[in-house]
Amino acid sequence: MKFYKYLIVFVIPITLFSYTLSGKALADKLGLNASSKAMIQWERVFKNERKIKRYKIDILSANEQRALKDYLINHAIDSDYPTVAGE
Amino acid sequence: MLHKKTLLITLLPLSLFAITDTQIEIKELQQNILELQKEVKTLKKVNKIQADKAQDNFDELYDYTENVETRVLADKLQFGLALKFGSDFIEKTYQNTNTVKNNNILSTKFMLKLKADITKTLKFYGRLSMYKYWGNSIPHQYSYYDNMQGRVPSDSGLYVERAYVDWFFLKQTSLPMALTIGRQPSSDGPSHQFKDNVSRKATYSALLYDGVADGVVLTLNLSKLFNYDGTYFRFGYSRGFGYVNTNQYSQNPYIGAPNTDIQNTDVYGIFLDSKLPNIENSLIQLSASRMSNVIANPLDSNYDNNTNLGDMDLLGAMVEITNFQNKHIDMFAHYGYNITHPNTKSYTLPNGVDSGLLGDSKNSLSGYAYWLGGRYGFGDNAKYKIGAEYNHGSKNWVSLTQGSYDVYNKLASRGDAFEVYGMYVVNKYLNFRLGYLNINYDYDRSGWLLSKPTPIVEVPSDIPNEQSPISRLHSIYLKMNLAY
Repeated sequence: MKFYKYLIVFVIPITLFSYTLSGKALADKLGLNASSKAMIQWERVFKNERKIKRYKIDILSANEQRALKDYLINHAIDSDYPTVAGE
Repeated sequence: MLHKKTLLITLLPLSLFAITDTQIEIKELQQNILELQKEVKTLKKVNKIQADKAQDNFDELYDYTENVETRVLADKLQFGLALKFGSDFIEKTYQNTNTVKNNNILSTKFMLKLKADITKTLKFYGRLSMYKYWGNSIPHQYSYYDNMQGRVPSDSGLYVERAYVDWFFLKQTSLPMALTIGRQPSSDGPSHQFKDNVSRKATYSALLYDGVADGVVLTLNLSKLFNYDGTYFRFGYSRGFGYVNTNQYSQNPYIGAPNTDIQNTDVYGIFLDSKLPNIENSLIQLSASRMSNVIANPLDSNYDNNTNLGDMDLLGAMVEITNFQNKHIDMFAHYGYNITHPNTKSYTLPNGVDSGLLGDSKNSLSGYAYWLGGRYGFGDNAKYKIGAEYNHGSKNWVSLTQGSYDVYNKLASRGDAFEVYGMYVVNKYLNFRLGYLNINYDYDRSGWLLSKPTPIVEVPSDIPNEQSPISRLHSIYLKMNLAY
């Protein structure tokens, strides 16, 4: 019972004071496939204004761009990609 | 009449002059046209030469690109590597109050990662592993145990830790699905990735499952259906123990029991993954699984004694947040609960004691455990990290973490384990970790499903180390982790 109390105290404040972002959802929305490029290539994309416009990343907010960049780099073809069944 | 004549005399010469000028202009224009035609011809020739050259260049570039493409297409397997190095300074205190120090135990774990994007809907993953102590020539006695192959320090042999395909189907529908078949990603799961500074490495909470497992998993991607990103429901099946009978006369092994006395141990589970509302990089997991027909000792081929002891249920809940609000704060909480359903059968242990599940062949027994932790990164690009973890297991706590990379299998502890560490991240591929681990055991035989857990304080203190349980363990360690 004590544990559940800790869990509630731990989860609820975090949930209330955070924001919504999803790198994967943003990538899907823009039609970007993370494993189509290597990490360094995605880094290059985010350093190049022309490429940012080309991939329509400029329509995103700064936070969304950061979330998208994290997702694309973490799932790039040469990355230490997550391994989870069926994902 | 005179007027007309005068007009004619005046206009005629003028007209003649005008005609002459026009003719000259026409000639000039014709000349210009001829010159232009010549220029156009010349330009056409030049253009053709240039176009031919461009085509030659393009063909050359195309051939080169095609060569690159051919190589890419021919590279069916992508390789990755991971290397772990460990130096452990351990101090064990036995119940008999004797203390033993094992200083500078050196170990290496090498992992060769394999990946193949066969088609857009078919992907293969594999991992071959070697894990050994330095200078050790004696293989670990459980290294052949299926759940622990490649997971415990043994010899330099490569084990297949993972080999599975993900087949995605119904991708365009509101309920995409995937079937995962083979040796599953069931080790080093959440939330071990924080200590190693890598991405999520397995499907299931590491408090409940950590080891190698052959199985099939059906994943339903509920994200579209509920319009909630990162929501998955899984049905999992794995074979915990597959009966292999060895004919004592011909020594030819064959699979399948000759009678119904011995059953395979199968594990069935359901798992729900999702995210906390409005928190990117979070994971919630609820799980329930049943181990049916638990075999007493998977390594004992004496089936006059070895037997199935009953079933056990394992329930779990976890929550994990990575890089909370981009502040480089990670945190997690896991809870696990187990309950046995014995079938009245028992197994005779080497010490002559008959034992059912958790020492009781008639009554259900239950246990629980929880695991809390956090990590904070600071400095440029969070190059420095500090972390702390705490876990507690009750008297009858048993899980499926026998294949834990951590040689102490601390998450199986029946007692309290506390760990702190500092990490230096050299770059995105390499990091070093210096840590301290302290485990206080309240009961003996942590991680064992056989025999009744005995309070450490009730164990006689006048027995030799070999028979005395460890009451307390300290470890100071240095780990290197490379993932590329």
